[in-house]
Amino acid sequence: MTDDVKVADKTDSLTDLKETDEDLRLPSVVEPAHFPVETIDTEARHQTPAVGQRATRPDGRLHGLGQTKYIDDITFPNMLFAKMKRAGISSALIKSVDTSEAEAMPGVAAVLTGREIPVNSYGPSYQDQPVLADERVFHAGDPVAAVAAVTEQIAEEACERIKVEYEPLEPVYDPVEAMKDEIRVHPPHSNIYATKRIKKGDLEKGFAEADRIFEGVYSTQMIEHVPLEPHASIAQWDPNGRVTLWSSLGRITLGRADIARTLDMPINKIRIVGTIVGGNFGGKNEITTEPALALLSRKTGRPVKMVYTREEEFIASTTRHPFIMEYKTGVTNDGMITARKVRLVLDGGAYCSWSETTLGKACILSAGPYNIENLLAEAYCMYTNKTMTGAMRGFGAPQVCFAYESQMDEIAHKLGIDPLELRMKNAFHEGSASPTGQVLQSVVVKDSLEKAAERFGWKEDGQ
Amino acid sequence: MTDVTLTINGEERSASVPPETSLLRLLRDEFFLTGSKLGCDVGDCGACTVIVDGLPVNACLMLAGQVDGRDVVTIEGLATLEDLHPIQKAFEEFASLQCGFCGPGVIISAKGLLDRNPDPTKEEIKDALSGNLCRCTGYTKMIEAVQDAARILRGEKEAA
Ligand code: FES
Ligand code: FES
Repeated sequence: MTDDVKVADKTDSLTDLKETDEDLRLPSVVEPAHFPVETIDTEARHQTPAVGQRATRPDGRLHGLGQTKYIDDITFPNMLFAKMKRAGISSALIKSVDTSEAEAMPGVAAVLTGREIPVNSYGPSYQDQPVLADERVFHAGDPVAAVAAVTEQIAEEACERIKVEYEPLEPVYDPVEAMKDEIRVHPPHSNIYATKRIKKGDLEKGFAEADRIFEGVYSTQMIEHVPLEPHASIAQWDPNGRVTLWSSLGRITLGRADIARTLDMPINKIRIVGTIVGGNFGGKNEITTEPALALLSRKTGRPVKMVYTREEEFIASTTRHPFIMEYKTGVTNDGMITARKVRLVLDGGAYCSWSETTLGKACILSAGPYNIENLLAEAYCMYTNKTMTGAMRGFGAPQVCFAYESQMDEIAHKLGIDPLELRMKNAFHEGSASPTGQVLQSVVVKDSLEKAAERFGWKEDGQ
Repeated sequence: MTDVTLTINGEERSASVPPETSLLRLLRDEFFLTGSKLGCDVGDCGACTVIVDGLPVNACLMLAGQVDGRDVVTIEGLATLEDLHPIQKAFEEFASLQCGFCGPGVIISAKGLLDRNPDPTKEEIKDALSGNLCRCTGYTKMIEAVQDAARILRGEKEAA
């Protein structure tokens, strides 16, 4: 008898569950309550390969309806808003941080400084970045304190009332200057924090075989990713000592380890909910405010949200490395490259972030897609007192491409060879070995070049 | 506090907000219409675009007090219970949005254009979308989608 009842209950609740689940899969909307459920059925969703087919995105409909929930569209009861006080000075010792006036403001729930952070350093490769600067400021966008308040505006006002006393230090901004190590960004460490060297063949022999030698210096600027959605996160510390973070972070697993480290907590007490990201491009590959928000939530017992302003995106998130690239290339009169020497200086800004990866990839790709028997590529990444640089689409590949292709054009011009022909003569073919000795397969660079030239009407005279 | 009464997507709504509240904050924080996005808060990106009295505006640059008594259409007001708006449908079909953050603003700008000009040239579409930045998709597919939606709205093409 009792058993029967149980079974009936179970069946009932299962049906309920199923219905709820179905409900959940429909777009959850504010208003109107329901949208048409019929979906556009394109060929590409069924066929492989999809190349040549028109593809739609499974999340495209909600994007167009404005129903996709990004972090800033999520809200919790009693949620607080956080703001960070930015240093505004690029190199200094922090003498004191006075938060008393900010704390006394009505509406301010908590203020956090760097000294309260269990392990105040983070980073995806080197842990050289403070969550909140405590002893020293390394670039002007460094946060020195964080405030959680009932409104963003109060939090911002409270930041203005935090008094920080600095002892200014001489900064270094130019990566070539920084290389001398006369002014150190992170003393006692050298400013040169990552290097790579690739050597192939005999450089001197290669240059001796050349009829002409071309030398040039190329440089690229710092670029911000400008994702349309600024960095955003919400932290909620629960009474069991666990923290849940909703974050626009693109690499949640990696970020989780970094957060655990800064909070000095076991990783299983940290849960990250990766939401839909409103544009990443490499700029959301590491944590930013998450540990500070977690601690503010612990202090207040309330969820805490922070969204970067557009200005903060520029001054306090990673950017693309500016490169200074020296190229020396030996060629025969008929346009065959005999040797190439490359020296790359990367401006890493104040922290490493993904610089090592960027440096490696840039160095490996710095000779271009060309068969060069004699090669030396050296790359150095430098600390400077500027906004940090990190991952951005291509990890350094676009910068070196600008340099070697610019030089290819110069060589073609000076030798009077069609720029396309110069590239065809030297380009990788099936089985070519890359500078690091990787034997390449499915090499279609020449076919691609030919097709492209044909499609956009490349003329022999190089117009 | 400033009292505002306005029509949003055909419905009269009221709120009492601090005088510095922007229309965007009013929509997002008071009425939970989070479809309009905050991308810059200074009028550069267009993610916050809504239609006020028939014209697209940057909601981050307009004060809540300025819309008292006026008519506002947001992205939430385009679809009906039965159907998507043809522009929304075209944006889905042409895969004109990747991360989607710019989408509501772009679609609203496009609607603002097609309401006034049912048969725009490519240049006119470009011009109408010039205040909307997209960092992912680019504009080619958006322009194609707007052209397609315009054909459907003019009755020259059957809705898919
Ligand atoms: S948020 Fe209004 S234009 Fe960017
Ligand atoms: S789709 Fe990401 S900004 Fe337009």
